[in-house]
Amino acid sequence: MSLRIAGMGWVTPLGRNVGSVWERLIHNEQATVETISDPVSPKTYNAFRVSNETLKDLPPHPRLRRASAISRFAAAAGLDALADAESKSRKIDMERLALVFAVSNGGVVYTKRFYHGVVESGAQSASPLLFPETVFNAPASHLAAILGIAGASYTLVGDGAVGLLAIQMATDLLESNALDACLVVAAEEADWLLCDAYHKWRLLKKEPPVELFCDPPRGMILSEGAGAIVVAREGTVQIDQIDAGGNFWQRDQAGAIVRQILHNLADKNACIVASANGTFIDLAERSAIEKEMSEAIVYGVKGTLGESVGASALWQAIVGSQALLTQSLPQQSRLHASVGSKDLPGNMAIVLSCGLNQQAAGLRLRI
Amino acid sequence: MARFNDLGGKTPAARVVVVAAGMVSPLGFSLKEALATLKTNKDCVSPVTAFDATKCRCKTAGQVPDGGLDTRLNSRKSRRLHRASKMIVSALAELRDQDSAFQPELTVIGTTSGGMSFGQDYYRALHQHHGLRRSPRWIANYPPQKPVLDAQEAFGISVPCQIIANACASGTNAIGHAFECVRSGNYQRVLTGGYDAISELVFVGFDSLQASTPEKCRPFDRDRTGMVLGEGAALLALENFESARARGAEILAEIVGYGISTDNHHLTQPDPSGSGPRRAMEQALQSAKLTPNDVDYINAHGTATVFNDAAEGKAIQELFGKVPASSTKSMIGHSLGAAGAIEAVVCLLAIQAQLLPANINFRSSDADLDLDIVANESRQAQIDIALSNSFGFGGTNASILIKRFTS
Repeated sequence: MSLRIAGMGWVTPLGRNVGSVWERLIHNEQATVETISDPVSPKTYNAFRVSNETLKDLPPHPRLRRASAISRFAAAAGLDALADAESKSRKIDMERLALVFAVSNGGVVYTKRFYHGVVESGAQSASPLLFPETVFNAPASHLAAILGIAGASYTLVGDGAVGLLAIQMATDLLESNALDACLVVAAEEADWLLCDAYHKWRLLKKEPPVELFCDPPRGMILSEGAGAIVVAREGTVQIDQIDAGGNFWQRDQAGAIVRQILHNLADKNACIVASANGTFIDLAERSAIEKEMSEAIVYGVKGTLGESVGASALWQAIVGSQALLTQSLPQQSRLHASVGSKDLPGNMAIVLSCGLNQQAAGLRLRI
Repeated sequence: MARFNDLGGKTPAARVVVVAAGMVSPLGFSLKEALATLKTNKDCVSPVTAFDATKCRCKTAGQVPDGGLDTRLNSRKSRRLHRASKMIVSALAELRDQDSAFQPELTVIGTTSGGMSFGQDYYRALHQHHGLRRSPRWIANYPPQKPVLDAQEAFGISVPCQIIANACASGTNAIGHAFECVRSGNYQRVLTGGYDAISELVFVGFDSLQASTPEKCRPFDRDRTGMVLGEGAALLALENFESARARGAEILAEIVGYGISTDNHHLTQPDPSGSGPRRAMEQALQSAKLTPNDVDYINAHGTATVFNDAAEGKAIQELFGKVPASSTKSMIGHSLGAAGAIEAVVCLLAIQAQLLPANINFRSSDADLDLDIVANESRQAQIDIALSNSFGFGGTNASILIKRFTS
C-alpha cells in the first residue's frame, strides 16, 4: 500500500508553522536556551524551550484550560497538520480519522507537581485535578476531544524512536479501508527533573552549542515541542519504507542495529536526517553511515533544536519531507560538512532514529 | 461510524489464534494457579505492603508477592531491575515453556505507568538530598518500554516493540492491535499483553479522585463504592492460524473480534449513556461477524466505581440483555495496563474450563441494571465465545472477542 504525508504541523523552540521554522533553519538560525531551576536543588540546567508567544494563536478549548504544556504543543501541531492537509486536498472526515500519539517522558511537569505534594505533605494532599493530566494519554484525549475523533486513538510510549514506531502503527491502521487518514502527533515538554535525570545519566551538556558527530561525544541539550503529520493515501511525500528496527542492550551495540537499518533503507539518491544529538548515538550513526552510505549528505536537526526525545523522530520526518519538497538542507549540523560532494538532498530522505533507551528505527521518504 | 476493522474485501482476513500464554497476577504465578484460584472465588486483595497507605482512604490492593517471580537473568542484572520487569519476564517464561518455538516479529504491550516506583525513588532522593547514588539505575529502568526489553533480552528476542499507554484500556488495546496486525496478513506472529506494577503515585492518584474504596470492591453492586488497584503481567502469543497449524503448534483459543472507540465526554468519566463502551462492543461483534446472541460470557471492565459500572452496565444490558457477566477485578483489583491482558487470559481459562468466573463481594443488584451477574461463586457453563471489556481515562474503550478453537 502506498501511503503519503498529506499535512504537517510543527511546534519548536524556533517557532510554530512548518514553513517559517524551515526558513529559520535554512538561514542557520539557532534556538536559544533558557536556564531551568527547581526548588529541590541549587543546580540549574539549560534547555531549548517553546516560547508562550508560539502558542498564542491556539484556539481556546475547555479541554486545554488546565492542560499541561505537552497537551498544548500536541494540540497546536495536530491542528496545524490537519489544516495543512485540508488546504491541499479535501476536508477530512473525523469519523474516518485515527489518532496515534507518540511520547517518551510525557506530562512530567504535572507529574512532578502532583508527587511533590505527596512527598511534601502526604497522600491526603494529593491533587485530584493534577492526577488525570499525569497519564500518558492525556494529550491524545484532549486532541481527540478537540477534533471530535470518536474512533481509534492510541498513545505509544518509547524513546526517541517512538515517532517512527507511531508512523509504522499508522500504516498498520490504514490497512483498514474504514480509515482515510491517520494523524500522527508526537510531543514532549522539558523540565528541570528531566534535565537532572539525563545529567545523572551523563548525557547532558551544560551550554550550547550542541556539537554533532564528535568523538568523544560532548553531550546533548534537551528541547521541547511537537511534530505532527497526516498519513493518508494521497499527499506530497511518499512513505517509501519503514524499518521498525529493534533493540540494543548495551550502548556499544547501537551501531550494529543502526547499520542494519541503514543497510535496509540505503539508496544512492537519498540524504540522511540523523538523530545525532551529541551522545553515543552520534558514534553509532557515524559508524553506520560511513559503512553503508559514506557519500550521503547527512544532517542532524538536533544540533539546532536540541533533543526533544519523544517528539524528535517526527521533527526529523518533517525535516526530511521539507528537504525533499524544497530541495534544500541547512548547512549547519552536517556530517562531513567540508566534503561537499553533493549539495542537494536528492529524491529520497532517510530518517534514522536511535533512541537513548535501547530502541532504533528508520524511515525512507520519497518524492 | 465507520467500521474500523473493515478490510474492504481487498485481502481475506487471516484467522488469529492464541498458541501460548503466560500470567503473573494476584491469582497466582501461572495459568494453572490462576484457574485454581478462580475456581475457589478467592478474594486476593490484601493490605498494601509496598508503601505506606495509612493516609489514603483505600488501604488495600491485589498484589503479586515478590518471592515467586522468575527472572531468568543473572542475579546481578536481576537486582537492578524493576519488579515490573520481573513480572513480565515470569509471564514470558511461562509462555515460552508452552511454545519455545514461537518467534514473534513484533511485540505490542500495554502499560500505564512503566517503572513508576523508580521515578518515585528518584524524586524522593532528590527531595531528601540522600541516596542519589542509585539514581542512574532508577532512571535507566524507569521507562515503560524497559520491562518489555528486559523480557526480550532474557529470551534472546530483539523485535520492534510498540508500547501502548491508553490508560486502563492499554492491555486490551494492545491485544486488539496485535490481532489486527496478524489478521491483516502483515505479521505472522505477534507477542502481546500488558503489565503494570503497583506504585504509590498511581495509588494516591486514584485515591485523590475518590475512585478507590476503603471497603470491598463490589462491581455492579447497588452499594458499590469504588475500585481497588491491582498489578501483574499477562502475555499472549498470537499467530496466523495457517502458520500455527503448519508448525504443529497447540492452539489454545482464537481471537475473532476487536473494537475500539473514544469517548470525548470527560478526561476521567464515561458518558453516562454508555455510548462509548457500546460502540467498542458493537465494533468487536461486527469485526467478528457475530451477533450479541453468540456471546456466552462477558468479562466486564467493572471497576466498581459508580460511573463506570452504570455506563458499562447500561451498554451491556442494551446490547446483550442477560448474558452472564462478571468483573474479576472483584478478586484481584484493577491492574490498569495489565488488566485487559489478565482478563483476556481469564477468558481463555474460562473457555478452556467451561467456567464462568465469579464477581465476588456482590450483595445486592443495582435496580438500574438488569444484568446476569455471576454473583459470588463461579459456575459451570457452555462457553464458546467470551467478550472482554476495558475502558480507561481519556475515554479509551476497547473490547475483544475470544473464541473456543475449532479447526
